[in-house]
Amino acid sequence: MLQNNNLKICRKLVRRELQFHKGQCLLLVTAVTLVCMLYTFSFAMGSHVYDGFLYSYRLMYGSGSHIICYDLSTEQAALLESHNAVKDTVLLSPIGTLSDEMLGNRNVKLAEFSEKWARETDSVPLYGQAPAEEDEIALDEITLNSLLIPHEIGAEVFLTWVPEGGGEERAGVFRLCGWWKNNTGETDSCAWITKEAAEELGGGTPEHKTLGLTLYLPGDPERQAKDLFSDTGIQNITYTTNLAGNRARMAYAGGKAMEFYRLNLIVVLCGILMLYTILRLSDRRNIQFYAGVKALGMTPRQIRVLAVYRAAALCLPGLLPGWILGFSLCALLAPYVVVGLGANPALFFFRLWPFGLGALLTWLTVLTACLLPIRSVAKYTPAEAMRFTGGNTKIKTMRSMAGRSKTKNRGLRRTTIRRMAFTELSRHKGQSLLAALSLLLSLIILCCVWTKGVSYDEEKYLEGAALCDYRLSDPSAAADTQRYNPKSRSIAPEIPETLSGHPAVENIGIVCTMEVPMYAGAQERAPIIETFEETDERGVIRKEYMADAPDWIAGYEKMRESGEYIGIVTGVDKLALEKAVTQNIFIEGTFSEEDFDTGKYVIASGAASLLKTTPPAGTKVMICGREFEIMACVLFESSLASGADSRQAQFNVTYYVPIGVFEELFPEHGIRNVLIDIDRSRQDEFEAFLADTLRGTEIHITSVRDHQLNFRNALFRICMIPLFVGGVMLVIGTLNFTNVLMMGILVRKRDFAVYESLGMTKRQLGKLLLWEGLSCFGIMTGLLVPGVAAAVWLWGKWQLAHMNTWCVTWRFSLLPLWISLPVLLIIALAVPLYFMKFVTKESVTERLRSAE
Amino acid sequence: MKTNTNIITVHGLKKYYGSGPRQVKALDGIDLTIKQGEFTAITGASGSGKTTLLNMMGGLDVPTEGEVIVDGIDLSRLREEQLAVFRRKKVGFIFQNYNLVPTLTVEENILFPLDLDGAAPDMRYLEEIIELLGLPDKLNAYPEALSGGQQQRTAIARALAAKPAILLADEPTGNLDSQNSQNVAGLLKMTTKLFHRTLVMITHNPELAQLADTVVKMKDGRIV
Repeated sequence: MLQNNNLKICRKLVRRELQFHKGQCLLLVTAVTLVCMLYTFSFAMGSHVYDGFLYSYRLMYGSGSHIICYDLSTEQAALLESHNAVKDTVLLSPIGTLSDEMLGNRNVKLAEFSEKWARETDSVPLYGQAPAEEDEIALDEITLNSLLIPHEIGAEVFLTWVPEGGGEERAGVFRLCGWWKNNTGETDSCAWITKEAAEELGGGTPEHKTLGLTLYLPGDPERQAKDLFSDTGIQNITYTTNLAGNRARMAYAGGKAMEFYRLNLIVVLCGILMLYTILRLSDRRNIQFYAGVKALGMTPRQIRVLAVYRAAALCLPGLLPGWILGFSLCALLAPYVVVGLGANPALFFFRLWPFGLGALLTWLTVLTACLLPIRSVAKYTPAEAMRFTGGNTKIKTMRSMAGRSKTKNRGLRRTTIRRMAFTELSRHKGQSLLAALSLLLSLIILCCVWTKGVSYDEEKYLEGAALCDYRLSDPSAAADTQRYNPKSRSIAPEIPETLSGHPAVENIGIVCTMEVPMYAGAQERAPIIETFEETDERGVIRKEYMADAPDWIAGYEKMRESGEYIGIVTGVDKLALEKAVTQNIFIEGTFSEEDFDTGKYVIASGAASLLKTTPPAGTKVMICGREFEIMACVLFESSLASGADSRQAQFNVTYYVPIGVFEELFPEHGIRNVLIDIDRSRQDEFEAFLADTLRGTEIHITSVRDHQLNFRNALFRICMIPLFVGGVMLVIGTLNFTNVLMMGILVRKRDFAVYESLGMTKRQLGKLLLWEGLSCFGIMTGLLVPGVAAAVWLWGKWQLAHMNTWCVTWRFSLLPLWISLPVLLIIALAVPLYFMKFVTKESVTERLRSAE
Repeated sequence: MKTNTNIITVHGLKKYYGSGPRQVKALDGIDLTIKQGEFTAITGASGSGKTTLLNMMGGLDVPTEGEVIVDGIDLSRLREEQLAVFRRKKVGFIFQNYNLVPTLTVEENILFPLDLDGAAPDMRYLEEIIELLGLPDKLNAYPEALSGGQQQRTAIARALAAKPAILLADEPTGNLDSQNSQNVAGLLKMTTKLFHRTLVMITHNPELAQLADTVVKMKDGRIV
């Protein structure tokens, strides 16, 4: 009999509530929108960060395939293609590997054009077209630059290659029909020729197919590859798996995304707090309502369902604007977080799940906030809850009243407006404390982030990170993996001359390099050998650190046994010389510009450690038949030259010589790099001039602007999440503060009527409320200023002790606090006066009656 | 139509707040029986325990000790969910402050206990009550647009709507002037007689108490 739960009435009550309290509902929907925006933003941004990392791994790998298998026969390729775990395949049929020394460590396959493979590896010719005639070839830009082939359709291309599986080097002449820009980090590429050309040139060579596999399930490609080979019985296969499927890399990307997902924990708390703060505006009404309906027979389940419906009704109108705002915010900020993509990451990596999950969490947040007032009523019997009639929002029960019988007799004291104001403040202690704590916490977060942000010193960073403001690189030395071709004349001598004439240029220098065979006698090479053969503090013989670099090992062993090694003679002048002697650390000897300019001395530079890896200072060395004395030995700290050197020069000693001497030694030299420092206040003007000067060339520019952008993006990434959290908490804290002031007035409608009936004028009432506002602000300020200052100071000390960041100059700043205080003061003065008008609109009698 | 059946039985009812020397004894061993169809008035000074006793009879509060049996149901055995359904089905409350849902119209307020129950209303019975209480032209109005007397009449109509076993009225005329008080009390007595309901009413007004079949006087949590 005593079972029934009709739920239709709940819908009606919610509908009516929305109609009756439009103002509050609008405020709640706005808060829901904000919460949904934050969830959508953090989920979308997290997913973009994750996808961005995977995408960059994929770019590094150079293919979208999950697994790439090499040196397969047609039968093996067919077996793998037909495996049920394989969703799709791309096949490459190379006939050989380009063997020009100038390609350095790059691996360029001469192969029949495969459009599918080209699409998968971003190697579709973008300029010109794919080969159609037998003598046509399409190449990537790095290969063109390394081989000094002009970027012109029809340009003659002379290539040498080693057939797949080995054999004698072959050569051929082609006509350039197209090319594409490739990722500068890539070491693998293709040289596309037609099917007919491939058959003719590759005739008689065994099959060495390369097969790219796309799997149905992208997870753990390493394990899947082993399963595939085991299932098909294929053994001893060379294969690689996509870096984007690598567990450790995926975990790293997940960790980065987690930084954004973690933001949701704060959003949950802040969202509930924000919504609850707004709901508290009608706390008294809510408690009376729930107590009333409970007394009339509404069951706890019906009350819970009422809260669920209420949460849904508040959620629905807030979702769409929340999604739009969250996505827009993400689209606005994502390019600073996921950099170097070209397209906007929010659109490029668009996914639906952040919207769905954002909506779900928004609803749960709203539901929790809606259930909180119910929980506070549920603790009491209907009789106790209905007894609540006072101005204080706390339910007073006979139980709690029973313990308050003692009062101190202080004698007669006159009441003043100020005393009344202070007494009133003590009535809202709980909520005032909540407001104070949320303001304190938010301002601590904001001031700490602000202090951190302003302490990162861009100038210091640029000094350390950028060798100079601009570095022009020969096209054959644009990429780190690209071997510099000393035959290149792309940087004409007029270019540095023209640039040095610009008024923004403060200093300019050129870097020229040449690899030369050299000899070190037993005495000269002894300290080098001692260094590399020695066991270090970790118990490892130092040369073993280079075990993965066979070219370095071969060069070192050659030097150890015969004394022959490759010296990289580097001609430097002005800025380049200055950088060579200021950016590197001197291990032996000292630098004398006067002596250096005589052309009798060189500066030797060795491996990156504080150890002797060059012949000692004072040693005489012969370079191209000319004798020099080593003036000083420096630590190879940062390279003046871009690009890579030949494989034979992996083990080398660099010798800096004046540019004049270099020109005498190598009259037909090219310029590898130009270093430029400018007056940064004229950066835009200089960049326009630079672009004009270099128009029509393939010269690569590394700009200070790139470093500035990196610095600012990194700073943005560091500060964005705490700024967001602090900002949201500040909004909540300010709302709470406003709420405290508002509640203090709205619930005292009757009190004010009583005061007025006893003779208090409106002016006196206004004065009382202003005093209350000022007192509240004073207490807040008294808490916030020392609290925030102390917290930021302590945090700063801790940061200084634990943060070993070379580009930090500690700057203590409380700017967010100084901006917030006047805003709080305005609220403290404006809110009481505004709401006083609101509650004293009716006559004293009307108010006394309506309060009853 | 009075019968000899006890509709309410209160036995050894105690309600204490706090403990030790500060303990407040709101009810201190109440034994009371109320017969079906009877009009009982509870009188006493402020703090004598009248409202606490009424709340215990209506399942709005839980006793420290003792039992309350209403229409054969021992309230101490009911869970919170069952107590709520008990209140809606068995008890009609009339509060001093009316306790109308401000977002519902007069008609919806009257039907509220039935809506909570999902029960079909007896329209003829309801129309009769509405007519009797003079509310036909106020059915679409919201409580805020009604006078105190009209609000209290709405509360009475609501209390009768679900045909409860007992009507509990806590100073139903406390917020009304003397004319309205007489009217409301008269209506209460008439409707309970007409619809054969048991009425328990708290009142300070001796004139209204005289309308009752039985008057229970309370002092310091006891019946005197």
